[in-house]
Amino acid sequence: MTPWSLLVYGTFLLGGAAVYLLLPRTDRSTRTAGAILGIGALAAAMAICGRYFLDAGGLNAVFILSATVAIASAVMVITQVKPVYSALYFILLILAMVPLLLIQNAEFLAIALIIVYAGAILVTYMFVIMLSQQNAESVYDRRAREPFTAVFAGFFTMAIIAGQLAQLPAPRILQGTLVSSAAASPIQTEPEADNTEAIGETLLAQYLIGFELAGVLLLVAMIGAIALSRKRLPVVAHAIPAKPPGQIGREVPPY
Amino acid sequence: MLELLKDQFTFSVILALVIVGILNGAVAYCIYFERKISAWLQDRVGPNRVGPLGLLQPLADGGKFVLKEDIIPANVDKPLFLFAPFMALVLGFIGFAILPWGGSVDLDGDGVVDVIAQVADPGIGILYLLGIGGLAVYGVVLGGWANNNKYAYFAAMRATAQMLSYEIPMGLCILIVVLTAGQIRLEEIVLAQVGNGNIWNICLHPVAFIILLTTVFAETNRTPFDLAEAEQELIGGYHTEYGALKFGMFFLGEYAHMITGSGMVIVLFLGGWHLPWIPGLQPEDVSIGAMLLKMSVFGAKIAVFLFFFMWVRWTLPRFRFDQLMRLSWKGLMPISLALMCYTSVLVYAGKATSLAWCLGGELGVVFIVLAINAMRTAPITGRQRNMPAITVHKPAGAP
Amino acid sequence: MIEEKDIIIVDEPDLSTTEKLYLPQVVQGLRTTFKHLFKKNITVQYPEVKREQRVENYRGVHRLNRDEKDRVACVACFMCQTACPANCIHIVAGESPWEDREKYPVQFDLDELRCIYCGMCEEACPVDAIELTPEYDIVGRSREEMVFDKEKLLAVFERTKDVKPRKNPRITGYAGTGDREQSSGNTEGEG
Repeated sequence: MTPWSLLVYGTFLLGGAAVYLLLPRTDRSTRTAGAILGIGALAAAMAICGRYFLDAGGLNAVFILSATVAIASAVMVITQVKPVYSALYFILLILAMVPLLLIQNAEFLAIALIIVYAGAILVTYMFVIMLSQQNAESVYDRRAREPFTAVFAGFFTMAIIAGQLAQLPAPRILQGTLVSSAAASPIQTEPEADNTEAIGETLLAQYLIGFELAGVLLLVAMIGAIALSRKRLPVVAHAIPAKPPGQIGREVPPY
Repeated sequence: MLELLKDQFTFSVILALVIVGILNGAVAYCIYFERKISAWLQDRVGPNRVGPLGLLQPLADGGKFVLKEDIIPANVDKPLFLFAPFMALVLGFIGFAILPWGGSVDLDGDGVVDVIAQVADPGIGILYLLGIGGLAVYGVVLGGWANNNKYAYFAAMRATAQMLSYEIPMGLCILIVVLTAGQIRLEEIVLAQVGNGNIWNICLHPVAFIILLTTVFAETNRTPFDLAEAEQELIGGYHTEYGALKFGMFFLGEYAHMITGSGMVIVLFLGGWHLPWIPGLQPEDVSIGAMLLKMSVFGAKIAVFLFFFMWVRWTLPRFRFDQLMRLSWKGLMPISLALMCYTSVLVYAGKATSLAWCLGGELGVVFIVLAINAMRTAPITGRQRNMPAITVHKPAGAP
Repeated sequence: MIEEKDIIIVDEPDLSTTEKLYLPQVVQGLRTTFKHLFKKNITVQYPEVKREQRVENYRGVHRLNRDEKDRVACVACFMCQTACPANCIHIVAGESPWEDREKYPVQFDLDELRCIYCGMCEEACPVDAIELTPEYDIVGRSREEMVFDKEKLLAVFERTKDVKPRKNPRITGYAGTGDREQSSGNTEGEG
């Protein structure tokens, strides 16, 4: 147990405690304590990231800002009482992840994230949430069901992964992921082709069959969903001939 | 000064400031022209009291928006209620960043292109506009939901369903152009149209142009697709509870959205800043004067489109909601899908820029659609036959 | 309650193939409105230009008429107040200082905001004292201001008597009977 891994594991312990306190409960509110702990955990997490930046020769303000916003809004998604706010924080989370992708020159992934998640999926979520409940929150929204188990499972897994990653020497993580400037990391080179173009080449030339199969699978799933959800109504009106033009109404036998 | 401008970043910032400044004024005057054109189409005069020809009317309107009492109703979801108009306005304006206003520019006349007259030219190109369009619905949805008003809430529902449905044919039509040009950046799409013997994409794909135009109407919530603010059924729709400057922001956002939408259609199908055979508007003209000329041509094209938007608004009645859905899912989407498949076959065969092949295909697709429609018994509008049947009695004296 | 047998369900017309495309109809509509773009405007620039009075018996603001001797023609008989469906007329009667009538209105208030301009008061008046004029553009800054009193109603008469002269002569039969003549004379003496 080096001080370094203690810091990493301690951050996750702090974060877990913060989320546990922030989760909605009916009997007493521990939100203020949770928020203070959460800010501490975020600061610790950024300090951990900062070590890699200092190794690489400079802090990246965009990364720090969007990572903080992303983590904070991810916590807000699960701790909000109102489902609509949860969905909105999810959108904020996605918008905060866009700069993270952009500083890695992954423009296409960034905009695809916006179009697919924020533009389509979350709109559908909002649609459903707005339909289901408008003002009164239900019991299962006001109280987290198994706060300790859930927080423990999530943060324990994350801590193990992060702890293992933290053992790796810093430059291996740096390669093309955290820092975008070419000067900071000698390994990284300017991308030759456009990122969008490169992804297109990869998907549609190198992995064409897999890509098309995935598309067909989704199409089949969509048609299957339509077929399953469709209400089968007896088609009665077909048997009745329409009246000649000029006559009002079409006589249809009782259904 | 000129040396400073030769940096693309500085140039972009200045261009952004100028364009947003001009377009803010343009958006305000859009409202004036909306009123004027509605008046002219109805044999009236329109606003003519404030200033000569009523030209100061936008200032008076703006003053009124600012000075009116800013009411926040009880029981609204306050943060979202305040946030929604900003969302609508900002998402209306940030689309301007990507429109190619004036092509490449050589600032000092040494024959080397220094900057491009576009605020940003990301590699994702046109996808940026799609992303913005996807986000734009949140202004309406949040506004409608936060209001705590049943009518506004219905409007939010309608807007969501409508925008989701019309984004699909829109994306397919954009793909047709991207396939034809083989490019995804807007400036390159314009250049591809010029390089193709001055044949704009509208000549190659007139049907796709009409479909894209229709979806732009739907995405901007304009008549005949303005179900989200249907006055007769929903009072004012999502902005029922909004007043003063917040309502003004929704209003401006709608017009900003229209400008972005028509800019997109112009770049994709009408050659952007280009006019054939006119010197000064060709890709090789890169002087500052040529840039200004190109900008004004682009602006004039947008103005024509805005007139068309308003002309349509004061001509066509609103669609019914089921008609709206049916038009998108059963009409526009199959047609645009078929066109896209056909275009990709053409690209594969190397005929994507041939006028005869493209037009032939478009005609063929329209013909097939007509044939399928003619064979089908169920009407496009009206009750579908598999809906629950209704007992019909006729009174004795009925014809 | 509508009987079920009275309901006729009218199917929408089946559209023809070209109609299903919507476009021909859209173009037709656009052509129609485009033609109107160049038509002559029919707007009347209201405060500067006023439209001609189109009906003679337009029912606008009320007026209280004066008779030939410049007296209030009203005899405070309360007929209009009784007839008024909107209850907007309020009269306080006093003894008349003139010998040809018993009473005259000390106070005559007419709430122009409550009035529905039906003309029943005009119909009811036995001496044609109250009349509706062609004047329609009345404004005020408060509700109280829009309650017209006797002076205001008489002022309306002064404004409009050239446009719409008092048509019917005063009904004279009332003062013709001897008894009444005497009694009216008495009241004058007392006043």
